[in-house]
Amino acid sequence: MTDYDVIVIGAGNAGLTSAAYLTQKGVKVLVLERHNVPGGSATSFCRGRFEFEVSLHQICGIGTEKAPGPLRNLFERIGVLDKLEFLEMNDLYNFLYLPEKRSITLPPDIGEIAALLQGLFPKEKEAIKAYLELVTKVAYGVISVQYLQDPDASKDKYPEYFKYALKNTQEVLDRFFKDPILKSVLGAYWGYLGVPPDRLGFSDLALMFRAYCDFKPQHFKGGSQALSNAIADAILENGGSIRYNCGAEKIIMKNGAVQGVMTQTGDEITSRFVISNSSKISTYYELMDPEDVPEPIKAELRQTTVAMSSFVLYLGFNAEPRDVGFIESTNFMVGSIDNEMAYKRMKALDINENDFAAISCYDLIDPQFSPPATCQAMALALKYADPWLKVPPAQYADTKYQCAESFLNVLDNFFPNIRNHIEEIEIATPLTFMRYLGTPGGTFYGFDNFIKDSEMFLPNDSKVPGLYNAGCWVGMPGYQPTLESGVRTAKSIVKELNA
Amino acid sequence: MKQELLEQFEGYDEIRREIEISRKFGDDFSLEKGQVAEYVNRLHPSLINLRVGKIIEETASTKTLRLMAVNGYLPPFQAGQYISLSVEVDMVRTGRAYSISSSPSQTGYYDITVRRVDNGRVSNFLLDKVKVGDFLQSSGPQGTFHYHPILHQKEIVCLAGGSGITPFMSMIREITDRGLPRTVHLFYGSRTLDDMIFHQELSQLSEQFSSINYIPVIEGPDCEYKGKTGYITAEVIQETLGSLAGKSFFICGPQAMYKFCLPELDKLGINRRKIKQEMFGPPINIWEYQGWPSEIKAEDRFTVRVNGSKSFETNAGEPLLAALEDNGLVVPSLCRSGECSQCRIKLVAGRVFQPEGTPVRKSDRKYGYIHSCVSYPLDNLEILL
Repeated sequence: MTDYDVIVIGAGNAGLTSAAYLTQKGVKVLVLERHNVPGGSATSFCRGRFEFEVSLHQICGIGTEKAPGPLRNLFERIGVLDKLEFLEMNDLYNFLYLPEKRSITLPPDIGEIAALLQGLFPKEKEAIKAYLELVTKVAYGVISVQYLQDPDASKDKYPEYFKYALKNTQEVLDRFFKDPILKSVLGAYWGYLGVPPDRLGFSDLALMFRAYCDFKPQHFKGGSQALSNAIADAILENGGSIRYNCGAEKIIMKNGAVQGVMTQTGDEITSRFVISNSSKISTYYELMDPEDVPEPIKAELRQTTVAMSSFVLYLGFNAEPRDVGFIESTNFMVGSIDNEMAYKRMKALDINENDFAAISCYDLIDPQFSPPATCQAMALALKYADPWLKVPPAQYADTKYQCAESFLNVLDNFFPNIRNHIEEIEIATPLTFMRYLGTPGGTFYGFDNFIKDSEMFLPNDSKVPGLYNAGCWVGMPGYQPTLESGVRTAKSIVKELNA
Repeated sequence: MKQELLEQFEGYDEIRREIEISRKFGDDFSLEKGQVAEYVNRLHPSLINLRVGKIIEETASTKTLRLMAVNGYLPPFQAGQYISLSVEVDMVRTGRAYSISSSPSQTGYYDITVRRVDNGRVSNFLLDKVKVGDFLQSSGPQGTFHYHPILHQKEIVCLAGGSGITPFMSMIREITDRGLPRTVHLFYGSRTLDDMIFHQELSQLSEQFSSINYIPVIEGPDCEYKGKTGYITAEVIQETLGSLAGKSFFICGPQAMYKFCLPELDKLGINRRKIKQEMFGPPINIWEYQGWPSEIKAEDRFTVRVNGSKSFETNAGEPLLAALEDNGLVVPSLCRSGECSQCRIKLVAGRVFQPEGTPVRKSDRKYGYIHSCVSYPLDNLEILL
């Protein structure tokens, strides 16, 4: 007899959905979470009268009641659909091109996007039509071949998919378009995947672009913490256990198979299965002894690199969104259309006008997101942790403030009133994410999302009997992929338990 | 995906080659074992082992404990931040937040300055029992009560009462130590001159540095005292400062002080949202708070059932966190003032009183999570730790 059937390490998106799914099937589950709240990145914190959303810009995959997306079904299956309230966004994103102070807002509809862009870039009318058709074909290729595993899949059945999936996004954009701004507008979702278009697989971008158009970008009433709390609540309702303030110290192994988990307080808890929602690196190199790590995993890990983290400003304003200058809820500020420059900026500590930044103001989709007559925004610049690791601790606070100052200077370009209305501000650096998530490089995206490290080439197989990995380290980053990853992992365990 | 399918992709061979090369030259993450924790602990250790290096008598009722790190390393902090000491007194493990009173430029120790409180379990323990050489444990530096260059003006007005002087002492020491381009106007209210902590040092710094303007305000002075008397009123602030434009306000002291001073600042037209307030422990006499149900008396007894097994009885007037600790249950805590959410627990059944404005996440409220340090039982409770 073991203490639990399954122990889940980490209450991030994937850890939570896996536990909710399993407990619904009557499986005895314990979730261990280092922090005192569930969610990992899907969380919030309070400052003054504001509750700040930590990470969610837009969630994809929910769809509408009439045309439900995969996540709506997933939420229903794990028993949280009734606990959640969705907020639909009116626009895909607002593209802000800094050098020309130009703004282009894409609607969340492929047909409307085509019409809008054809009007703005009349010389490339045909190319726009052809490109968006390709996006659709490649996205459906991913779904049919990778996800639904069409048994008849072949190059002949899905020619565009097999031709373009492994190309980098920039190459495809270059093949279709001349105007660099048009390319940049269509590639702007790269920010959600963490590598610039010349390093990003086209299948990832195409899938994401098409899926956001089909299912509409959305958010949650109460923010991402409302999602995490709802799932945690479902786990408890189903009889599962969650221990907060209780990290895992070690995965206990016997004869090469999982036997349970030792907690940081020294408790040994037995189970046949362990789901790790921790980073793949810490799962194998912190929680296991070197001799237990299978050789193929060591090779896989050597192939990969850790993704970027971010420098983030959480801003609470004593004014309505419009008074601060926010018109759209999701804004991508592009400083440079040069990918090399964008990548170089991600590796730099400071922030300047060449950085790629995402600025979200949720009060535009839910006037009650913040207290009356206020609003909040999250402004994020993609940054690797390396330069931050080199900042001497004594200079850390000052460095943080200086970077926040320069970020505000950049934001001033499009939101000139931003400084006048700040009531609360909290600054997060890659080290902040490292502190709260415990991930290498303070990343929340797992490994760099290069084509070679995608699930196509690194299938999610732990190579250790009883051990399962779930989350962004074994699949795509982001809310929809990680929530789905947990359920997929849970399903494989249910299969194993029934065998 | 099956190999034969993969091979049909355009560009497949190139990616295979890329994989081979990166496997050959890639990083060996196993060499980085423990590194994340190391980086985090340089700034935010969850636990610091401390040793009392020196005890300084400040006033008849106040001592400064000079705390050094056992491993020789203390993480940096921002002047105004606190550490949460974890102590065992009379067989009860509990914690208390103490602002660091030494300057951040002093990296060899943290000073905490402790004043005797009537029935103050921890303060009396620290004052009466702790000796030089004793070991203590604390959290890393915490809290948002500090100067923020984006939010605050370079000229700050600080209102302090009693031991609420400690975070300001750290700020002033840093400004003078490092020659920071900031000005402080410190109004320090006290019952008597003898009760004032750091009075001499503050008077000297004020004389020596034009950036430090120290205004002691004494309630009941003896006849020789020439300075301001009474309370820190709007008039006192106004006549000392003249114009209030371009200044940021900080306040730290006992609860009675907020009750008195915040309305005074209102009179001066200072926006309350712009006043940085430090919280100093759970509310005193919670039953006098607005919203407290009149039918419940502070000494009413209720049963608390924990994790479906252990139960104990406690008073309505006692914070739940303290009651849990009294019964041997340790809930991690930091600020113990309702702010930081560290002591968040789930209320499964029953009602508690949490003062209005306690910053609890919206969805935490929806699912019954409470900040146990400022939650008071109004009913028999069932909770989940």
